[in-house]
Amino acid sequence: MTEAEQKKNIRRTTLIVAAIALAFYIGFIMIGVVRA
Amino acid sequence: MNTEVHAHDHHDDHDDHGPAKGVGRWLFSTNHKDIGTMYLIFSLTMFFIGGAMAMVIRSELAIPGLQFVHPEFFNQMTTMHALIMVFGAVMPAFVGLANWMIPMMIGAPDMALPRMNNWSFWILPVAFGILLSTLLMPGGSPAGGWTMYPPLVLQTGDSFPFLIFSVHLMGISSIMGAINIIVTVINMRAPEMSLLKMPMFVWTWLITAYLLIAVMPVLAGAVTMLLTDQFFGTSFFLAAGGGDPVMFQHIFWFFGHPEVYIMILPAFGVVSEIIPTFSRKKLFGHDSMVYAASCIAFLSFIVWAHHMFTVGMPLTGQLFFMFATMLIAVPTGVKIFNWVATMWRGAMTFETPMLFSLAFVFLFTIGGFSGLMLAVAPADVQYHDTYFVVAHFHYVLVPGSVFAIMAGAYYWLPKWTGYMYNETLGKVHFWASTIFVNLTFFPMHFLGLAGMPRRIPDYSTQFADFNTVASIGAIGFGLSQLLFVWVLLTSKQGEKATDRVWEGSHGLEWTVPSPAPYHTFETPPKYRIADEAFE
Repeated sequence: MTEAEQKKNIRRTTLIVAAIALAFYIGFIMIGVVRA
Repeated sequence: MNTEVHAHDHHDDHDDHGPAKGVGRWLFSTNHKDIGTMYLIFSLTMFFIGGAMAMVIRSELAIPGLQFVHPEFFNQMTTMHALIMVFGAVMPAFVGLANWMIPMMIGAPDMALPRMNNWSFWILPVAFGILLSTLLMPGGSPAGGWTMYPPLVLQTGDSFPFLIFSVHLMGISSIMGAINIIVTVINMRAPEMSLLKMPMFVWTWLITAYLLIAVMPVLAGAVTMLLTDQFFGTSFFLAAGGGDPVMFQHIFWFFGHPEVYIMILPAFGVVSEIIPTFSRKKLFGHDSMVYAASCIAFLSFIVWAHHMFTVGMPLTGQLFFMFATMLIAVPTGVKIFNWVATMWRGAMTFETPMLFSLAFVFLFTIGGFSGLMLAVAPADVQYHDTYFVVAHFHYVLVPGSVFAIMAGAYYWLPKWTGYMYNETLGKVHFWASTIFVNLTFFPMHFLGLAGMPRRIPDYSTQFADFNTVASIGAIGFGLSQLLFVWVLLTSKQGEKATDRVWEGSHGLEWTVPSPAPYHTFETPPKYRIADEAFE
C-alpha cells in the first residue's frame, strides 16, 4: 500500500466513524424530541 | 498471539527529530509516547484527587453521626468522586496505556491522527479544571450523583452549566481518542498482521473504541437535553411539561452500562498480555478471547434496564433484562477459564505485574458474582440503592480496572523508562493494596444486605462496626498508593532493562530497545508467526 493510499484509507475510516458518532448523538436527541 | 520479528528495526538513530525542548514538547506534542505519558500522569493526579474525596466520604462514615462535613457537601463529594474516578482516572489511564503501547504492538510509527491525539488529551485538563472549579462556586459543586438524574440534577445551583459543559468536553475527548484508535488499528498494522493476529490488548481496545463511539454521543445527547430543559424551556424530562424523567434513566443507562465495559475490556486486554508472559505459555484460546470480548460488548447494549428494575417496567421487560444480563456471565466465564488454562502447568513466576493480574482474576470475579446477584430482578428490589451495589461496582472497578492499570504500569514501566523498578517495593505495594482493598469493600456487602442505603452521610448504629472497618481499609488503601508514587519516582535507580525486559514476553513492542526510542517502526517491521517460541 502506498502512502497516498494509506492516507486516503485513514481519511475514509475517520469520516465513517465520526459519522456514526454524530448519528448516535442526533439520533438519541431525536428520540427525546419524538417522545417529549 | 505468538509473534516475532524477522529483522529488528530499532530506529534509535533519530537525533535529528527527537523531542522538542521545554514546555512546548508537552503542549504541542504529536508523539504517541509523549501523549501517553501525559494521559498517565493526568490520570494518576485525578486518582489522588478523587481518592482524597473518597477519604472525606470514608472519614465521615467511620462512625455514626455527623462528624466533619455538612450533608450537602457529602453529596458533592460522592458525585465528584465518581465523575473524577470514572472520566478522569480510569478512562484516561487506559487511553494512556493505549497511546503508549498500541502503535508499538502493531508496528505503526505513531497514531493515525497525531494532531487530534494532542487535542484529545489537552481537552481533558480543561474539562476537569471546569468541573473542579465548581467546588469554589456559590452552592458548591454538583451533588445529584454522577448519574445526573432529573429532576434532582436540575436543582443544582450555579455549577449546573459547568457540569454539563465539562461532561461534553470529556465526551469529545473520548470520542476523538476512540476515532484515533480505530483508525490506527484498522489502517496502520504491520503488513502481515491480520486482525486475528493482533495482541489481545489491541483487540480489547478496538472493541472498547467502538463502544465509545456508540455511547459517548448518547451521554452527550442526554446532557444536552438536560441543558435545554434547564435553560431553553424544553421539557424532555420534566413531567410538568409533558416530559418523562424515566426516559433520562433509559438514555443514561444505554450509555452507562457499556461504559462499565469501556472500563473493564482494556483491563481484560492488559491481563491477557501479562498472564502468558509470567506463565511462559501462549495465551490459551486467543481467538475465543476475541469472540468473548465482542460478545460482551454486544450484550452490553441490551442490558441497560437492569439498573432500573425498581422504577417499574412490564414483567416481560424485567425478564428480558434479567436473562440478558445473566448471559454476560458466559463470555466472561470463557475469559476467566482461558486465563486459568493459560496458567495451568505454566512455569509461573510472581513478579508485581503478575501478582496484580492474579488478584484481578480473583477479585474481579467476586465483583462479577455480586453483579449476577443484582441481575435477579426480584432480589434487586432488596439490593437496589444499598451498599451491596457500592460493594459490587467497587470490586469491579478497583481490584478490577485499577489493579489492571497498576499491573500494566509495572509491566511496561521498564520499556518506558529503560530501568527495572524496585520489585520489593512493588510487591509491598501489591500486598498492601490487596489487603486494604478487601478490608474496604468486602464489609460493604454485609452493610448492603443489612439494608444500609448508599449516598447517606449518617446511618443507624447497627451499621457502625462494618463502616469503621471499611474506613480503616480505605485510609490504608489510600496510603498504600503513595508507595506506587515512590516506585515511579525512583524507577530510574534500578538496573538497566533489556530490550525484552521479561523472559516470557513476546510481541513487537519487546523488539525495540528499552527505553523505547522517541520514534519506532518508521519502516513497518517484517513479521511472522512463531508459535514454536513457546514450545
